[in-house]
Formats: sequence, structure tokens, C-alpha cells
Amino acid sequence: MIAYLVTILTLVSIAAIVALALNLQWGLCGMVNFGIVGFVALGAYTTALLALAGTGPILALAGAVAVCALAGGLVALLSVRLSEEYLAIVTLGFGEIVRVVSLNEAWLTGGALGLPGIPRPLIESVPSESYDWVFLGLCLLALAAVFLLLESLTRSPFGRLVRAVRDDDVVAATLGKNVLRTRVVAFAVGSGVTAVAGGLQAFHFSYIDPSQFTPIVSAYAFMAVIAGGRGSNRGILLGACTVMVLLEGSRFLKDFVEVLDAEQLASIRLILIGLGLILFLIYRPQGFGREPRRSAGSLLGEAAADGRERTS
Amino acid sequence: MAQLVLNGLITGMIVALPAVALTLIFSILKFPNFAIGAMLTASAYIAWSLNVLAGLPLLAAAVLAALLFALAMVLTDRAVFRPLRERGPITLLVASMGVSFVLENLCRLAFGNLARNFDIPIARPHRFWGLRVNQEQITTAIVALAAMAAVYLLLRHSPLGRAMRAVADNPALAAARGIDRDRTILWTWAIAAVLTTIAGVLVGMDRAIDPLMGWSYIISIFAAAILGGLGSPVGAVLGALVIGVVQEVSTLVIASNYRQAVSFAAIALLLLFRPQGLLGQRRIKR
Repeated sequence: MIAYLVTILTLVSIAAIVALALNLQWGLCGMVNFGIVGFVALGAYTTALLALAGTGPILALAGAVAVCALAGGLVALLSVRLSEEYLAIVTLGFGEIVRVVSLNEAWLTGGALGLPGIPRPLIESVPSESYDWVFLGLCLLALAAVFLLLESLTRSPFGRLVRAVRDDDVVAATLGKNVLRTRVVAFAVGSGVTAVAGGLQAFHFSYIDPSQFTPIVSAYAFMAVIAGGRGSNRGILLGACTVMVLLEGSRFLKDFVEVLDAEQLASIRLILIGLGLILFLIYRPQGFGREPRRSAGSLLGEAAADGRERTS
Repeated sequence: MAQLVLNGLITGMIVALPAVALTLIFSILKFPNFAIGAMLTASAYIAWSLNVLAGLPLLAAAVLAALLFALAMVLTDRAVFRPLRERGPITLLVASMGVSFVLENLCRLAFGNLARNFDIPIARPHRFWGLRVNQEQITTAIVALAAMAAVYLLLRHSPLGRAMRAVADNPALAAARGIDRDRTILWTWAIAAVLTTIAGVLVGMDRAIDPLMGWSYIISIFAAAILGGLGSPVGAVLGALVIGVVQEVSTLVIASNYRQAVSFAAIALLLLFRPQGLLGQRRIKR
């Protein structure tokens, strides 16, 4: 039971990292990334290949972040001349390409059989019975680091610029801001963050294959972001945990409802996510959380008192 | 080579139907409908249930499925898209992804992952001038061409078509001239649903019906519609034919698993060099 909980928490923290990345791209910058699972997969495969080549976990993860950030930047650049709707289809296509390549280029990715035996970090220096706890610690550490990074980014001038571009890119451009660069950077940073999640997933299972990277990963992320409240990193953290615990918890249902097999449960889960997305969009588009915004009053107060940031 | 081009044209005709549906929805409702793949799947399953489970002949099953599915999509619009109408394209396209999850997984829940086939006799392929042509391909060509002609006539020469073009052009002006936008939107969904049902049945005849069948076409459908310049039905048809032929001919040099990737490459190149599409007149913002 405890082991099960540790595993769930590990998976939840990995999913939360994906959701935070999507929040930067979609929540803050308005760039819909339907192919986010492709970036997770790209990160996982890059990490796995580098780790298998013996670079050590840190370098492998760093390499994955670089590769994904580059890929994200290029994908964002593809749709520079167009409105945001086109980015959605471009990212969907990117996700599909990653899937097809990982399935068919067996010389590189092991094809459908996947890549086994990915060396896990710290495996030699930690006794095996407590390894899961240590790995959970690593994941939570990564999650905390990502959260702090994105939270400071959100509150920085760049974060305000990103939201300005989302709300009205013409106004932002008129004010002399470089809209294109803002979008590309935001998307690239988000993709880099997804690579961390992919890498952790590769280390966690120490084995990856294409079946781990199905659209359900994207669905979780979208559900977490919309439930948590677009724009609010804290809300997303809460949203991701709620969504994942509820959905992972539904595995227990299998023990009670014997007529359902795993496949049917997976489809019920996706139906629930679909309905949840729609209901949230209609009835509670702001989600549970709230985007940190400063009111004019707090800004004026800050100018006078030089200090405290307030969310309003 | 000629065989590949022929196969490509047939594939293109199938893709053209949902591509036209996508482009109609885009021009009237101003959002890219990501549920188009799942609509293909769901309509094919409805037709399959009527054909195999209820024992209707395929033609009757297809007609009834088209009507039922049109009703289903009209209700979906009422329940999902109507409350979100004024919230902008991003919200609508995310909602359409939600609809896509629901439709596709309802099919999986009800029918499982097994591939299903329609109850139709298997016919020997015909040969014309050394080209192999299946009975299904002939049916596909006739049905798809007839459907496209019907949509063209409807858009060009019926009051509904005029209303649709007016709403697509300028909703406010259309409303001022007394065109009922909500009614036009309902008809748009109905037409889109009928087109996807036809395509779903044709795909089911040509290959098989499984929960992922729509998913495996979605990128080609979008590529076709974007190639034609989103919003132009004739462009979508031409785009679909180009995509179909390019996909088939590309199998000479690239493994056939990469079909969707070829469509994607077409989208990418197009977005970089001619973002308004082949026939699009509409200037896309930015």
C-alpha cells in the first residue's frame, strides 16, 4: 500500500511538471500545445539514450532539456506568421511525428519494444529497499525547482510581457515589444520543462516504449491546467494533484467493479477528462486557482512603499 | 506510379469530405474543430451498429447513421459549443478536443479496440489498362464526388448556402439582414456530420473500423483544409486530392508508416511559405 502511494506520488509529481509547463505555454502565453506528449516523449528518449551512452543522469537530463527547448522553439517558429489556432495543429503533428519515429526507427529507439535498462540516478549509493523513497524525493525536488523557476518567471517582467502578448499581441507590439521572440522563448522554456518530466519518467520506469506516451498524457495536463486555473502556478499544482489522485485512484475501482477491464477503465477516464474539460470551460473558466494579477492600487501602493507583492 | 496516383486520388476523395466539413465549421464558427477525427470514428460506429447489429443493408444503415449523427452533433453544439460561442477560438478548440476525447472513448468503451468490418461481400478487383481498381474504390469515387457536388450546389444555389456564406463573411451584417445565425450554425453542424458519416462509412468499407481510425486521418484532414486555405470548401477538396496523391507517391521513397508525417511536412512547408493556402483569399492576421 505504502509502495503504491509512493509510486502514485512520483507519477503525480511528474504529471505536475508537465502541467506547469503547459501552464506557461497555454495558460500564460495562450499557445495551445496539443502535442505536449510528444515533447515528454522526446525528453524521455533523449534522456534514456544519453544515460545509456553513459553520460550520467545530470548530463542526460540537461541534454534532453536542450533538445526539447530547441524543438519547441522551432515548432513555435513554424507558426509565427499565423494566429494561435495553427499552432495547435502544428503541435499535434509534432506529437504524431515523435510517436511515429519512436515506433519505427528501431535502430535508435528500440521501436515498439522500447529501450530497457536505463540506469537510474543514485542507484549504487542508495539501499535498494529505500530507493523508491529517494527517487520520489528527487522528483519532488525537481517539481519544486520547476515551480520556483516558473513562479519567478511569471512574476518577472517577462511574465507580464507573456501575458500581455496573450491578451492582445497587437497592443504588445505597438508598445515596442517583440511578440515573436516572446512567444518562441515562452514555448521553448515550456518545452524544456517538459523534457525534465520525460527524463524523470524514463528514470522512474528505467524502461520506455511508445505506449507510455499516449494522448492521455496531454489530456491530464490540459485537465490539470484548466482545473487549476490558467495562469496560476499554485492552482495548477493543486489541480494536477487533484486530477491525478482522482484518476489514479480510479484504478482501485477495478477491484470493486469486476465487469470493467483495464481498457474500459482507461476509456472511462478519458471520457471523464473530456467532460471535465468542457464543464470547466463552460462553468468555471478561471478554474480553482486564480492568475496572480496586481491591481492598479497595489502597484501604486508598491511605488510608495516599495515592497510587498499582493495578489488581487 | 499511375496506380499510386489513382490510390492517392481515392484517398484524397475520402479525406476531402471531412476536410470540407472542417472548413465549413471553421468559416461559420471561427474555430478549428479538433473533434473532426473522433466524429469520423463515431459516425462509422453508428453505421456499423445499424448495419451489423441491427442487420440493415449498408446503404440504409449509412443514411440512418447520417441522420442520427447529424442530430447528435446538433445537440453537442447546443450543449458544448453554444455556451462558449463568444469566448474566442482557443477556448472553442480546447472544448472540441474535450468532445473528441468523449466521442472516441465512448466508442472504445462500447465496442472495444477490435477492428470491425461492415457486412458487405468482398468483390474481386477490376482491371482497367493495367490499373487495379477495387469495387470499394469505385463506390468511394462515385459517392464522394456526388457528396461534393451536392455540397457545392447547396452552398452556391440554395438560400441556406447564401446564409452560410453571409454568416461566414460577416456575422454582424448577416444578422442585420435578418439571417438567423443560430439556425445557420445548426445546419452547418448537420451538413458537417453528414459529410463525416459518408467518409466514415467509406473508410470502414475500404479498411476497417477501430477507435483510432479518425485519429489516423486527423492530420491529413487538417493538412487538406489548410492547404486549401481554411474556409474555402473548393480549396479543401483540391488540398485533399493533393495530400492524398503526395502521401501515396511518397511511399516510393519513405516508409508508408510516415504518411501522417508527410501530411505534417506539407502543413509545415505551407505555413512557412504560403500561409493563406492555395486558394485562400482571407488574409490571416499578423
